[in-house]
Amino acid sequence: MSDFSKVIERPEIKSIGAYDFPSRSAQALYADDQLVHVWYDGNPWFVASACYRAPKAMSFGDFWSALVVPYHEEDPDWQASWTPADFVWGLDGEDWNPVEQSSLADLGVGHKSVIRMVRKS
Amino acid sequence: MTIAPKAPRKLSMKDRYSALTRDLEWDPSYVSTEEMFPFTSFEGIKIHDWSKWEDPFRLTVDAYAKYQAEKDKRLYAVLDGFAQSQGHLSLTDASYLNAMKLFLQGVSPLEYQAHRNFAYLSRHLNGPGPRFASLCQSLDEIRHAQTEIHTLSNYNKYYAGFHSYLHMHDRVWYLSVPKSFFDDALSAGPFEFLIAIGFSFEYLLTNLLFVPFMSGASFNGDLPTMTFGFSAQSDESRHMTLGLEAIKFLLEQDPDNVPIVQHWINKWFWRGYRVTALVAAMLDYMLPRKVMSWKEAFELYFEQQMLGGLFQDLAYYGIEPPKHVDKAIQEKEWLSHQAYWILYQFSHAAAFTTTTPNDEAREWFAEMYPESWPIIKTLWEKEDQNLANGGRHFIRGLPQLCQVCQIPMGFTEMDDPLKIAQRSVIFEGERYNFCSDGCQYIFEHEPVKFRQAWLPVHQIYQGNCGAADLPGVLQWYGMQPGDGGEYLGSVDNENWKTWHAQADHNELGED
Repeated sequence: MSDFSKVIERPEIKSIGAYDFPSRSAQALYADDQLVHVWYDGNPWFVASACYRAPKAMSFGDFWSALVVPYHEEDPDWQASWTPADFVWGLDGEDWNPVEQSSLADLGVGHKSVIRMVRKS
Repeated sequence: MTIAPKAPRKLSMKDRYSALTRDLEWDPSYVSTEEMFPFTSFEGIKIHDWSKWEDPFRLTVDAYAKYQAEKDKRLYAVLDGFAQSQGHLSLTDASYLNAMKLFLQGVSPLEYQAHRNFAYLSRHLNGPGPRFASLCQSLDEIRHAQTEIHTLSNYNKYYAGFHSYLHMHDRVWYLSVPKSFFDDALSAGPFEFLIAIGFSFEYLLTNLLFVPFMSGASFNGDLPTMTFGFSAQSDESRHMTLGLEAIKFLLEQDPDNVPIVQHWINKWFWRGYRVTALVAAMLDYMLPRKVMSWKEAFELYFEQQMLGGLFQDLAYYGIEPPKHVDKAIQEKEWLSHQAYWILYQFSHAAAFTTTTPNDEAREWFAEMYPESWPIIKTLWEKEDQNLANGGRHFIRGLPQLCQVCQIPMGFTEMDDPLKIAQRSVIFEGERYNFCSDGCQYIFEHEPVKFRQAWLPVHQIYQGNCGAADLPGVLQWYGMQPGDGGEYLGSVDNENWKTWHAQADHNELGED
């Protein structure tokens, strides 16, 4: 996971003409929002990580209650009493300690970042 | 004395073929060769002598038309008989048709796209031999698209999910997997297309792609699809020959072509292999009467025939087995389970239905998948409990997608098969996510191409798919009530029970 944020260079392009087209998923296409992935690691009930569109300014606490919980409470084993403190958190391959009052942007969450959550055992 | 006029001399088939291809070839004098064939140099492939292309077809137009007309006659006779005798009632179960929905929505439109690109090659390759071979394949592909559509149209009268397949192919999330695969090939140069589709798709992976569907048809009472399969088989063997000739021709023309071709093999093996995840799910989970497991199919058609046979021959040219093939081999115990687990929990947004495997299927899985099934079955047991409590596992939101294969990222690390594989890189300030080393490798070689991917989840969030809520998106997809969701209790399931109850009643006679 160490190279999760590896920066790659533009390779040589073989084409019949100028070839330079923008990303169809660029952050600018989402106004003040960005796409955020949440990976419930260790829980195979959810076959893939979730993808949300969330405001950059959204607090982590709101993100948890408005987006993360409604998606994941469909798991029969989900406990309504669970809070972020019941999980160990990661962001883009690094350890991460989200503060509920801070915004996603201030917490370092970027466009198409991957937030990892693992139940504390 | 009169001399009887000589009977017109009849050319042999070989001579006619030669007259049709080589004799119609000329060197341009008003324009340069580069102006006449502008697309065969930019990829870096060097061709010194186009006449070295060994014609694999040696067909003429009249011979081609005669063979195909005979095959079509047989196929359409079967279709008529099946329709008139209500043959659909003799299928193993209505749920079998989920496999055919996936085929019609996902594969038939690719046949049409193949027709288009081979028509392009039949104009733009420099050599007359490969041009004519491409023309024949172009005609094959449009015939396949048409005959597949006609074969399956009968089911559209009675079952959900068979309507609007072309509309869906361009819009629906799981169909963006085969669509983007083929669009990638269509937007490549002519030589890459030959390796992508002619070689990788039509040779390397063809048996994995088509045999499961056609054998599934034969095991489950679908006579029309089985007959279509036979009708296409002789064409497919020609296509395989063309694919193999294409790669050998490129490799023999110049040693500088070898690394280019090797990269395309690496890329297109993995691209095609990821598309076969849908086939794996279909083969193991959607057929009421099982044919063979994905694992068995992969071992036979890929490991034995391709790695054990083909790549031994290609080693002579300095070609190695595709990069990341070891990952595909490791995944053979897991692929179908993971792919179907995706389809199962997102089938409320699909034009096919899914259901939990029954007891018989679970016994079969235990036998076929001794390594993965003990773990996978715990998921189904959890779902059994969920269903008993009135639930049904449908995801309440949208999944993370791989930037390259576009499949929801449900594939796992093979040294830890319950851990989802997460890969990502930053390119020109933007993060891109991948399901596997194979997809990351492909992106890193062509980031400017793949950053344009039309990812269904991202497009929904941009507001480009009709609406922001699920019913609105499904309407934009062209879906109707009964197309997707759980099979048990679905429109198809209820109709099937009603029709068979009627049949049973009729046997007893009235009163």
